[in-house]
Amino acid sequence: MSEIEAASGNGGPTPEQLAELRSSLAELRGELEARFGPQRERTGASPFRVLDELGNSLRSGLDKLGVSGLYSGLRRLVSAYRMDNRSLEVDEFGSDPLYLEKSRVLLDFLFDRWWRVKVSGAEHLPSGGRVLLVANCSGILPYDALMIAHAVERFHPSQLRPRFLAADWIATLPFAQPLLTRLGGVRACPENAERLLRTGHWVVTFPEGQKGAVKPFRQRYQLQRFGRGGFVSLALRLDATVVPVAVVGAEEVHPVLLDPTLPRRLLGVPLPVTPTFPVAGPLGLIPLPSQWRIRFGEPIRWDAVAREKAGDALYVNRARDQIRNTIQLLLDEEVHRRTGVFRS
Amino acid sequence: MALRLLEGPSPPRIVGLDLSVPKALEGRLRFHRVDLTGPTADSVLAELLEKERCDALLHAAFFTDPHPDREYAHELEVIGSLNVMNASAAAGVSKLVVASTAQVYGPHPDNPSFLSERHALRAHPDAHAIRDRAEMEQLLRTFATRHPSISVVSLRPCWVMGPSYTSSVTRHFESARVTTLLGYDPLMQFLHEEDLLDAVGLALTREVAGPFNLAGDGLLPLSTLIQLAGKRTRPLPHPLLYRLGYLATVARTGDPPAAFYDYLRFGWVVDTERAKQELGFRPGYTTREAWMSCVVERRLKSYR
Repeated sequence: MSEIEAASGNGGPTPEQLAELRSSLAELRGELEARFGPQRERTGASPFRVLDELGNSLRSGLDKLGVSGLYSGLRRLVSAYRMDNRSLEVDEFGSDPLYLEKSRVLLDFLFDRWWRVKVSGAEHLPSGGRVLLVANCSGILPYDALMIAHAVERFHPSQLRPRFLAADWIATLPFAQPLLTRLGGVRACPENAERLLRTGHWVVTFPEGQKGAVKPFRQRYQLQRFGRGGFVSLALRLDATVVPVAVVGAEEVHPVLLDPTLPRRLLGVPLPVTPTFPVAGPLGLIPLPSQWRIRFGEPIRWDAVAREKAGDALYVNRARDQIRNTIQLLLDEEVHRRTGVFRS
Repeated sequence: MALRLLEGPSPPRIVGLDLSVPKALEGRLRFHRVDLTGPTADSVLAELLEKERCDALLHAAFFTDPHPDREYAHELEVIGSLNVMNASAAAGVSKLVVASTAQVYGPHPDNPSFLSERHALRAHPDAHAIRDRAEMEQLLRTFATRHPSISVVSLRPCWVMGPSYTSSVTRHFESARVTTLLGYDPLMQFLHEEDLLDAVGLALTREVAGPFNLAGDGLLPLSTLIQLAGKRTRPLPHPLLYRLGYLATVARTGDPPAAFYDYLRFGWVVDTERAKQELGFRPGYTTREAWMSCVVERRLKSYR
């Protein structure tokens, strides 16, 4: 309508013509409505519209009170987490190179300053082929996986970044799930591990699983049962070199005092009690700055005889326990070697 | 689909079966009125198939959107499909192609990153339309083992996008503010409508049997897709969203039901390897292209 009026300003249609145009427009609208029925209003009573309205009035109310800074600050925080300009291509497991690049500052800080990670045995990392890194599991959030990936990337000449397998229930945690996916996490299941290895990725796995994540503090650095040996038969089948990895320090970042069963039953996710969580609220989620040591053990390669035995449960279980013992030995050595939990 | 076959180089003889004649096809093919929910639908259909000497049957009598009348939807989708199966067995049809959906796998946090056809069908327990489809698939499997002479194909496409295709899913993405789940960002894949038609054509003509997953190449996180379309999100915490979804269903506001949002919460990405190997399926559009074709067309529409 405004266009018509603007046009009339510079010698366009006269008021009479304008009136004619308007009436024909109304006629057209009437004809359309007669043919297709009245314009459908989708705005109706949709609860989402109501919510939007509420949000708008809340925002304008905040503006009136002069605390709009709070709102915009919150928005900035949210967009910092979302990192709105992410890459437009992700790989088939959802890892986002741009997001990873931007997160590197934080990861470097965690690696060098916060946990002061000491890496040893990097010379044991194979130069090529399929590689499965097997580590002790510690804590609810896979900080250890991120740091192992970081260590490999930094100390391996090819600078490749291994992908890590994250426990199932991470997928049910809001925020953690997209974050880990973008940083290279993949849900732990045999299909995914096989696909990753076949497509040439290195894979970090934690066969202890949930058992290891929520074990009480006094059982730290004592390996739990190593799953059902699925990772061994997979490594045998795909002829992947297994590198045992011991991570010391990660089990002190969130010392689990209690693992009450009630919230686990109610929420379906474990909710362990640590000295700071849930007492300190969200601040309790900040990991303690313990000093970390990551040690890569001698790689385990399979000969032709072993590769034949991927379906032999007894052989697989024996190999699984052997790997478990190797990691336990590495862990014991590293724990003895350090002088204190926080001292470097 | 029929239009595309008719316009092809050597149009085969097509017989249409529906409740009413589609406008675009009027007068271009032989047409019979069949109600699959009728009491003797199976024998009526068998008679028709025999009379017309059909050798391939495409069964696509399903609702695109969850029908509000659950009872009727169940009658049509499960019992109606059973009628189709029995009729095609009686009439000696050699090929039965059924339109299913990849949603029958269900959104679950413990889904592998790629679902293959071997994976169990764990449809969402609250999504009645998809549960019906999964039940139909079970019936189809039993039927296929009982009648080895008929090659039974079920096509399981992921969400379809394209310039002209509309469903409750495209409508959900059409609004300027797309409702998402706070803290979740699943990887999505889409299939272009043209590619779906290609796949149906391949399934009808090639010597294949069994279920086939269909999806465009590549995947993208939901948030990236919405960003690509230049839309805003309305992220809501999932417990609230489920209740709102329920409210919307009761009030019939046209918003999707609560179960729909689980498909935006957890991944249900399918592996199309089998369709590529055996069916010769080559998607012409990637996930991103399918999505953009849908978005661009809708945006133009608002300026026409």
